[in-house]
Amino acid sequence: MSEAVQYFQFVLAPQMLIGLVLGVAVILVALGLTIIFGLLDVINMSHGEFYALGAFFALALAQIGLPFWLLLLLVPLLMLPVGYIVERALIQRVFHSGDRHVRTLLLTFGLGLVMEDSYRLVFGPNPYRPETPITGGVEIFDIFLPSYRLFLIIVGAAIIAAVAFIVYRTRLGAMVRAAAFDRDMAASLGVPVQHVYAGAFAFGVALAGLAGVLLAPIYSVFPTMGRDFILMAFTVVIVGGMGSIAGVVVAGLLLSQIQAIVALYISPVWSDPVVFGIMVVMLMVRPQGLFGRLGHG
Amino acid sequence: MKTTRTILLAALLSATALSTAYAADTIKIGVDTPLSGTYAGIGQQVKWGLELATKEVNAKGGIMGRQIELIYEDSEANPAVAVQKAEKLFEVSKVDFLTGTVNSGATLAVGQVAERAKKLLATTVSFADSITGEKCSPNVFRVNAKAGQQSTALAAWLAKEKPKAKVFFLGPDYLMGRSTVSAFKEAAEKVGAKSLGEVYAPLGSKDYSQYFGQIRAAQPQVLYTSVAGNDTVRLFTQMQEFGLLKNLTLLGASGTVTSQNIAAIGKAAEGFATGVGYSTEIDNPVNKAFVAAFKAANKADPDLYGTDSYGLIYAYKAAVEKAKSTDTDKVRTALRGLTWSTPQGEKTIRAGDHQAMQTMYVVQVTNGQFKIISKVSGEDAIGPDTCTRF
Repeated sequence: MSEAVQYFQFVLAPQMLIGLVLGVAVILVALGLTIIFGLLDVINMSHGEFYALGAFFALALAQIGLPFWLLLLLVPLLMLPVGYIVERALIQRVFHSGDRHVRTLLLTFGLGLVMEDSYRLVFGPNPYRPETPITGGVEIFDIFLPSYRLFLIIVGAAIIAAVAFIVYRTRLGAMVRAAAFDRDMAASLGVPVQHVYAGAFAFGVALAGLAGVLLAPIYSVFPTMGRDFILMAFTVVIVGGMGSIAGVVVAGLLLSQIQAIVALYISPVWSDPVVFGIMVVMLMVRPQGLFGRLGHG
Repeated sequence: MKTTRTILLAALLSATALSTAYAADTIKIGVDTPLSGTYAGIGQQVKWGLELATKEVNAKGGIMGRQIELIYEDSEANPAVAVQKAEKLFEVSKVDFLTGTVNSGATLAVGQVAERAKKLLATTVSFADSITGEKCSPNVFRVNAKAGQQSTALAAWLAKEKPKAKVFFLGPDYLMGRSTVSAFKEAAEKVGAKSLGEVYAPLGSKDYSQYFGQIRAAQPQVLYTSVAGNDTVRLFTQMQEFGLLKNLTLLGASGTVTSQNIAAIGKAAEGFATGVGYSTEIDNPVNKAFVAAFKAANKADPDLYGTDSYGLIYAYKAAVEKAKSTDTDKVRTALRGLTWSTPQGEKTIRAGDHQAMQTMYVVQVTNGQFKIISKVSGEDAIGPDTCTRF
């Protein structure tokens, strides 16, 4: 019995805690992705590059001397107009065409390539790393966790709660859900649908940017960083149910735990195939995912 | 489009023909090196090193009164392209000697082309031990240090610094990662180190913290890693975050911490040590003059690739003067056992496997800069001759 307790305390529990941090990181990236998909019916292939944009904004602003805590607020605010303009100027152009999925997918994919190369041109190919704003660590039941990672779990949970509150409990959220459920009906009832669409895209992109700022001290900043989380984020969105916020949270925690625990028993190289395998099975058995779409109860 | 390409090709060919006619009495050295693609930065150093030495030799009357002419082809760091370009250099440009290959696969493939053309190839960059080991060729020489020399030097330093050290290994999960770990493991165990375990993480891993439990449980005194580029940034800074760097010596491959990532790693890189064949810090008059001339010509510091390429021209000069000919067989005989002076000190080409022996250095990051902390003599670092073909 005591052996099992020891195994839990020294092997399993630390691994699960580390998996939790990774889960929160993935959820932060996937949240914006699922909101954009749930509302606009657009698969944003450039989402990873917006995540990178947040990190590069933070990098540039930190160089002129702004403190990290201010950047947490400032970068998402800077991302909002960027997202708004991208939606109105680019996505709206192909949004109303017959094969919306293919065209928006190609458009955002191309946008992602352009953004990635722009980072390379401006910042060069070498990695940067902002100093961790909170150093040191804490011991939770004899398990060591760096303070910044604990901070990340707390802030991540707060962001997820705030997003859920805005979408499900505010008038703004009600408009968003209404526009997602029935665009024409919402418009006829006076919802400014075009602004809601652009606003929701900007909101999703700002969340990605915020994730970029938060994760930069752990994962460093470089032009191709957008590719890091995007596959996992897409998997989480698909397994959770495209467009569902609760789905992203549940699937994000579930998949990152599976990944962390699997790595204990088989070669870590296999942890990605395991997660993608789950996604494939999900698509075959329950293509709508664990939860339904945004606005579709 | 096609016509344009044909005309360009014709122009290029006639230009080559013209220069051949004009410079009939030069010694032609072909340079089959990556001038574009992933390894363009290495190719640039090769070019700078060769050009500086060529300029110096030509200014002092060339080799036996003949000027050296360098003829470049872009190998794109692709072995297939490197082979085509090597054939062109031998057949069309009629070069006397070939160098510049970077990728180890390209060096092995081009070596076979050289055998067929009955010419000599010398690499100044490739690390793979097999080039002067089980896949050695009578027509291939290596003037730079191989991977084995780097790990032997590092292991010798470790044995002196921390006798019977307990070592944990972490490598990227692909050929280079596994081969560098096994090479260092073998070298370290030979001098008394104890291996505690090894883990291979996927190339480009985001988060190394999932391996930290394993490392903590093993309680190593030394961690050897061969991750590179941004992977090193994440590994080292995450280890620092988790407080794993206390009382731990970090060792690694020569590409683990470089000028490209050292700034991003910051304080976490302090104390990291590796074995190398060159450092600009080497204290001898040849190196001081070389570094100054290199900086003046190229506005950049020489790295080991530029330095080994620079040294090659002098090796070839010494061999041709000793052989009194550019004939392949005579130059080969002259190169075998040749001792010549380079910025790294004296180098000697071992006759048995065509591998240059040189003093190896252990460098350590101190205040964000690599400093030389130890030297290992050429004889101690080279290891046994495993070439059986000649």
